[in-house]
Amino acid sequence: MASIQSKVREIYSLEQLSGKHTCVHALHPSAKIVATFVYVVTVASFGRYDLERMVPYVFYPAVMMALAEIPYSLLLKRAMLAMPFCLFAGVSNALLDRVPMLSLYGVVVSRGVVSLFALVFRTLLCVVGVLILVSVTPFTELTTEMRRMKTPQLFVTLFEMTYRYVGALAEEAGSMYTAYQLRGNSDEGLQMRDMGSFVGQLLLRSFDRAERVYSAMKCRGYALKDGCRVSAPMKARDYCFLAVTCGLSLLLRFVNIPGMFSQWIGTVLL
Amino acid sequence: MHMADALLSPAVGAAMCAVSIGALAHSTAQIKKDDLCEKKIPVMAVAGAFVFAAQMINFTIPATGSSGHIGGGILLAALLGGFPALLPIAAVLIIQCLFFADGGLLALGCNIFNMGVIPCLIVYPLIFRPIVRKGMTSRNIAVASIVSVVVSLQLGAFCVVLETLLSGITELPFSRFALMMMPIHLAIGLVEGIVTAAILGFVHSMRPEILESVDNRTRIGADVSMKKVLVTLAVITLVVGGLLSIFASVYPDGLEWSMEKVAGTTELEAQGGVFDSAAAIQESTAFMPDYDYASAGEDGSATGASVAGIVGSAMTLLLAGAAGLVISKAKGRKGKAQATV
Repeated sequence: MASIQSKVREIYSLEQLSGKHTCVHALHPSAKIVATFVYVVTVASFGRYDLERMVPYVFYPAVMMALAEIPYSLLLKRAMLAMPFCLFAGVSNALLDRVPMLSLYGVVVSRGVVSLFALVFRTLLCVVGVLILVSVTPFTELTTEMRRMKTPQLFVTLFEMTYRYVGALAEEAGSMYTAYQLRGNSDEGLQMRDMGSFVGQLLLRSFDRAERVYSAMKCRGYALKDGCRVSAPMKARDYCFLAVTCGLSLLLRFVNIPGMFSQWIGTVLL
Repeated sequence: MHMADALLSPAVGAAMCAVSIGALAHSTAQIKKDDLCEKKIPVMAVAGAFVFAAQMINFTIPATGSSGHIGGGILLAALLGGFPALLPIAAVLIIQCLFFADGGLLALGCNIFNMGVIPCLIVYPLIFRPIVRKGMTSRNIAVASIVSVVVSLQLGAFCVVLETLLSGITELPFSRFALMMMPIHLAIGLVEGIVTAAILGFVHSMRPEILESVDNRTRIGADVSMKKVLVTLAVITLVVGGLLSIFASVYPDGLEWSMEKVAGTTELEAQGGVFDSAAAIQESTAFMPDYDYASAGEDGSATGASVAGIVGSAMTLLLAGAAGLVISKAKGRKGKAQATV
């Protein structure tokens, strides 16, 4: 199944991007996680109609993607996956909330239309913010930070193993599907009547693989015990990064700088 | 059903994160009690990866021209047990959030609750297990799967509606939003339920020990003090009934509001002999009419509402206890009668 193989490639493509060497990649993972979290929370905290106030937040993804050399198209394509439900909610706002909000050269724009654009913009910012974090932070550093944040060892180990075996089982599912197609079902896709045995077989193979994995881990001295890998301490540049990103996020949240800027434009230029 | 960050306010997102973290912590603690905990981790991880891979497999839904994929909550719970299933589901949702932008970071708590906690910790022990406990047959597995998946998807969709509305993001009124979400997820649930039933049926026919060896021992353990649980519940009831009732809104409730808009009055006067007799009985028995002292007057009194709350709670507790006692006595007598036969 081409879509399974492309999904497998997608799984590890962001991981490959995180292996680059730029100033953003060199930052401490804690600083990047905290900055992303503050960014997402402040963007999500804006009201339904605060489109103008959210616009300056586009600087963060623009600057970070440029500094980290992340392809824009890759992240925007991933961000599109999050759109459908938000579009549904936004379009319903546009249809139900018809109170006029502003007039642009004779065209009356309702509050609902503004909230539609605000919702789409907010979704894009939040999704791209998280994708940037994953693109500049290797998976092992993410899990090390999870351990530092006192996440139980059991869950972190499970998370690491799940991530590792997603690709392996997706490839197995792909091979099984190829075999299914070669048995004369190429035009119709996987039929619902075959779903039970198909997925059941995949499940049984997964369980057998789990037994082998456990035996291999024990042979290599694995034992579940709480521990914490020591990561490097934060440096001055990490604190500067945090101060700038979190400070600006909070400043823009509580001070209406775009409004002041619009007023200045209205006074000086118009 | 993955929710995005843009549909949630930070307050709702944070609250649901706290709930989900609590559920995950409790599940982790339950799993750690098991001596085979270490061996279970590869099984759980591979099961999580399996669900992820299975979600990529789209199957054709007949007569609709569309396709769908399974969710996996009930499937994992049936294979691993309720608590061990929640962790791989959470791991998969985190991977989908971080790497596929499928669900937001702030919405992770909501997604883990809607698609993990509801099927694994609520629906599975209350619906799936009681049905298959009657006998691990193909029919019971099918019925349990379909009913559990439909109920968990309906509850999950309902929670999505509540979480979005509480965040104040959408203009859609509650009824219309729910009317749009619930039927769609009913259809999805039926299809997923049938597929889950087929998968579990296949596994049961090929390797019955997998389903039968699931640790069904999720009864309340001997070390949980029921006395503490009951005292805690009683204190919570008193606080809610006694203190919070002071702040009860004086505005008409939903039904009264609707009545006022439709009929111009919040109460309809019933006429007839039966209604008059019933009203007379109610007047003589109601010692705190309108949740207040009988002598409170038109404006009512704050302590009247508070006392009413405490008294109402106490009476409710007594009635519930009495009902439980009666049922236990009745079951005891029935058991003795069957033993003598």
